[in-house]
Order: sequence, then structure tokens, then C-alpha cells
Amino acid sequence: MRRGNPPDPPSLGDVLDWSEASEVRPGQRRPRPRGPQARLEAMAWGLFSAGGFVAAVLLPIHVAILGIAFAAGWLPDKALSYSRILHLARNPLTKVYLLAVISLPLYHWAHRFRFAIHHQFGIHLRRLVAVACYGAAVAGTGLAVWVLLRI
Amino acid sequence: MTPDGRRRYPVYVPQPSRTWWLKSGPYRRFAAREITSMFAAIVSGLLLAFLFALSSGPGSYQDFLRLLETPGMAAFSAVILAALLYHTATWFRLTTHIVVIRLGQRAVPRSALLAALLGAWIAVSAAVAYFHIWF
Repeated sequence: MRRGNPPDPPSLGDVLDWSEASEVRPGQRRPRPRGPQARLEAMAWGLFSAGGFVAAVLLPIHVAILGIAFAAGWLPDKALSYSRILHLARNPLTKVYLLAVISLPLYHWAHRFRFAIHHQFGIHLRRLVAVACYGAAVAGTGLAVWVLLRI
Repeated sequence: MTPDGRRRYPVYVPQPSRTWWLKSGPYRRFAAREITSMFAAIVSGLLLAFLFALSSGPGSYQDFLRLLETPGMAAFSAVILAALLYHTATWFRLTTHIVVIRLGQRAVPRSALLAALLGAWIAVSAAVAYFHIWF
């Protein structure tokens, strides 16, 4: 399926211009992207991979326990009792763990969903989509902090 | 580029159809992998709701547990778990492609790395289950 004319091949002059522009001479470093935009991008990728790791390693067991084992009646009687879980969730270490387990997968989702909107749904409002996705993840993090402080 | 900054030839902008990602097996697997992140976000929301119910007192906590026991919720959890396990599989697989650990002159083989990741995953899951259920 082809729409529009096929591209003309670039001229030799163009090719030479490009290779000169991207040439890195010995002893010279390829310039790194700098500035707030590049820093935010790097942070988004870092949170994405941290969230992917948490989602891969920690989330399946939580779903298996809360979603399946409990409904199937495989857990001991007192396992999810209010007083026991409350005691567990009031431990500061548990709170830090829960904050990571809840918020990091949200950044993983935000990063992937941002590009899914672009690639799969074909919507190209890039700045708006990025702000909405990461904004949702930040809002979820704030909500998690609020709930954890309430316990 | 010409000296005044314009291109000498028209730029070809490919216009894929909106359903290109349904067209072949690898594309569908790619899309499925991307969609698993949505289920991870849903789990975050569920855990948030669980903790919110917990912080609202024993009554709402029991209500939330009753919701978890409904067959619909259990079936939904099974779908979520399947998506998460697909995410785990693809994540570990791509980790073995990215991470290279050198031992002396050789790189640790990918299969060993994968076995180590799976072992760590099982150990961590067992620790979480211990604290969640028996501690």
C-alpha cells in the first residue's frame, strides 16, 4: 500500500552534507543532549524501567494473593484480617515498599501509553499526551502518599 | 539541503494505517506487550483502593474483601495475572539482551542470566507472600 510518490533518492551532495554534520572526529565526544527537556526525558526513561522492573518482579505475586488465592479460599483464615493487615501496613518500611509498588508501575504505564497513543492510535498531539500521561502518574503518586499517610 | 535551508527533494512521510499493529504476529506481540502496561497501572489502582479501604476502617475493608471474592473480580484478576506474567516474560527476555555481565574474558551466557532473574523473581515473590500471608 503506497500513498504519494516514492521519494527521490538524495543527491550525492546531500549525503556528503549529512555525513559531515554527524561526523565525530577522534578525541571529540558526540554532543549529548542537554537542558531541561533532555533531563526530563532521561528521568522518564529511568522511571519507566524502574516501573517495568517492579511490575515484572513484584506485581504478579500481589495479584495472585489478593485477586486469586483469596477468592479461591487458599489463604489461611486470618491472613487478610483487618487488624493483621493494618498492623503490617502501619510499618514505615511497608509504606515505603507500597509507595514504590504503587507509583513506579504508573510511570511505566505513562511512558508506554504515551507512545502507544502515538504509534497505535495515530494521535500526534505529543506534548498534550505526554503531559496527560505523566500527569496521571504524578497524581497517582500523590494519591498513594495521601492514602499511606492516612493509614 | 540547499544553502537557503530548503530541501532539494520532497520528503517521504509514510502513512501507516491505524491498524498496522494488528497485521502480523510480531506486530501483535509488540502491541500486546505495550498493552500489559495498562494492566500494571490497573493493579496500582487496585492496590490504592485496597489501602484506601483499609484506611477507612474495618467496615469498608470488609466490603472491599467481599468485592475481591466475587467471581467477576476473580476472573478479572486472572486476566490481569496473565498480562503481568507476559510482561514479566518479555521484560526478563529483553533484560538478557541489554545487560551484559563480564566474567574475566567472557560474557555470562544469556541463559544463565535468565535463570538468575527467574530465581530472583521466585525468591522475591516468596518473601512477599511470606510477609503478606504469614508474618
